[in-house]
Amino acid sequence: MSDKKEKGKEKSAKQPAKWLNILLGVVTATGGFLDAGTISTSGAAGALFGLGLIWAIVLATLAAILLVEMSGRLAAVSGRPYGGVIRERFGFSFYLLPLASELIAETLLLAAEIGGVAIAISLITGLSWRLLFPFVALGIWILLWRSSFSVIENGPAIIGIIALATIAAVVALGGPPPSLLPTLWHPDVQQGEWAEYLYLAAAIMGSTISPYLLYFYSSGAVEEGWSRDDLGLNRLTAGLGMGFGSLCSIAVVVLAAVVLRPHGIQANTLGEIGLPMGQAFGPVGGILFAVILFATCLGAAFEVSLSLSYNIAQGFGWEWGEGKRPVEAARFNVVLTALVIVAALIGLFAGDPLRLAVFASTLLALFLPFSLSPLLIIMNDREYLGEHTNGRFANIATIAVLAMAFLVAVVSIPLLILSGGGG
Amino acid sequence: MRHLLCARAVSCALLCVSLALCLALSGCAATQSDFTRQTASAGGEFAAAALTLAGAHQGRLTFAYARGSFVNYQSQLDGLDAQLPGLQGAPDEASVHHLLALYAPAMRAVEQPCLDTACDWRAQVNALNRASAAFLRAAETSA
Repeated sequence: MSDKKEKGKEKSAKQPAKWLNILLGVVTATGGFLDAGTISTSGAAGALFGLGLIWAIVLATLAAILLVEMSGRLAAVSGRPYGGVIRERFGFSFYLLPLASELIAETLLLAAEIGGVAIAISLITGLSWRLLFPFVALGIWILLWRSSFSVIENGPAIIGIIALATIAAVVALGGPPPSLLPTLWHPDVQQGEWAEYLYLAAAIMGSTISPYLLYFYSSGAVEEGWSRDDLGLNRLTAGLGMGFGSLCSIAVVVLAAVVLRPHGIQANTLGEIGLPMGQAFGPVGGILFAVILFATCLGAAFEVSLSLSYNIAQGFGWEWGEGKRPVEAARFNVVLTALVIVAALIGLFAGDPLRLAVFASTLLALFLPFSLSPLLIIMNDREYLGEHTNGRFANIATIAVLAMAFLVAVVSIPLLILSGGGG
Repeated sequence: MRHLLCARAVSCALLCVSLALCLALSGCAATQSDFTRQTASAGGEFAAAALTLAGAHQGRLTFAYARGSFVNYQSQLDGLDAQLPGLQGAPDEASVHHLLALYAPAMRAVEQPCLDTACDWRAQVNALNRASAAFLRAAETSA
């Protein structure tokens, strides 16, 4: 009897911790949803086409929720990360394909994220972002080297929750005017703008369904020791976190459509995308935008660099883990360092981070099928998932997402060439 | 091995379809000329610069935010005067000359924005707005 009481007490003590975990998971996923790619593509979408590309964000978010939930379920049930399972199930030669494609696209994205952090600091201090860029890259490397996984995962994401201020800004500006609403279902695309419209749609898909999310999320679940008990947390984190993140992304579209579009501003630089926040909240609004940009790009820089390092270490069968000391996972940490150096060099010579982010998002869109296709087979393998394999609905939805990924991959490069890179 | 061959086949198929699509789309009116694209972009950039400068002086933005933004506006607009006459789809020489005449004072404002109280920021905002309107109009008429 007393044993039962003890268990009851233990259970009730665990309840707040469980809810805190869920809250932290949702906050992390919300803050982690936005990055230089999503902010750039959402800003450009609103400035150029009003509300006419919100459908792409909604579609991409639904796909991302589905895929992230599956990668988390795989990690929680099998105790293995997605990258490691692809290598194990399909062999090393096959694994090289998603690995190489991720390496190309995500190194560029990492350079853009570092640039995003530098621009955020420049908007607060007034210093040139080019001057700040090398120091930001060094700072990111030091944090990656010294910090624990939970600090890296939760720190920027908790600050990134300020991203919800974009929704408040839409309310403060009185929402979209009635004249803008029809662009939601009838996009205002002039003759000659179709290539740019479709290119932005593809870039939104690439920036939202970034495969690094799957690799990072599943590796993180393994690092945190998720088990079958965490499947509920996984579903909530994927659904609510991505959902809230997507709302912020849509808010950026609305803000750009309401404030920038009437002036003919195309959102070619990250600072421009923050101007509506100034209209809504005064000088504090600009600072809020800079903090959002800082936190989301910093979080994404951590996630992208860790995700790539996980991929390489898991592919070659090396020791890996941000929780391990550098000496315990030496090759993993060498790769991490090399990636930050290469991305910093690219960022120094490539110029504007916004264009780099949109270009990287297009490449991610091009490579989507390589990273996503194995998921369908793996999620139906009882050896890894036991009774938690995909149901019929999940399989149909995954096939639909894969079909969309193939379509986006096919059109991304022609549209990149024809639209002149989105601007 | 089977997976690898399948992946290679998919890569080749993606490449072929992409090339075909590229050729097909370039044949129809789905794209803008270089001149239209560049003038629309420059017009937007001048408008952003005007909004930023006015915002800083009217208390909607901090001066640091404006200073940080102008570095990017400058890099977006630099060298446009040299490119403009040679762009595909450029109109007659007089129209280009008119744009270049408005570009010069606006660019001076972008390079040295008035971010204190000792200079005439309103004159700079006017120059930026004039250039913005002319470039956006040129983009619209050339589309």
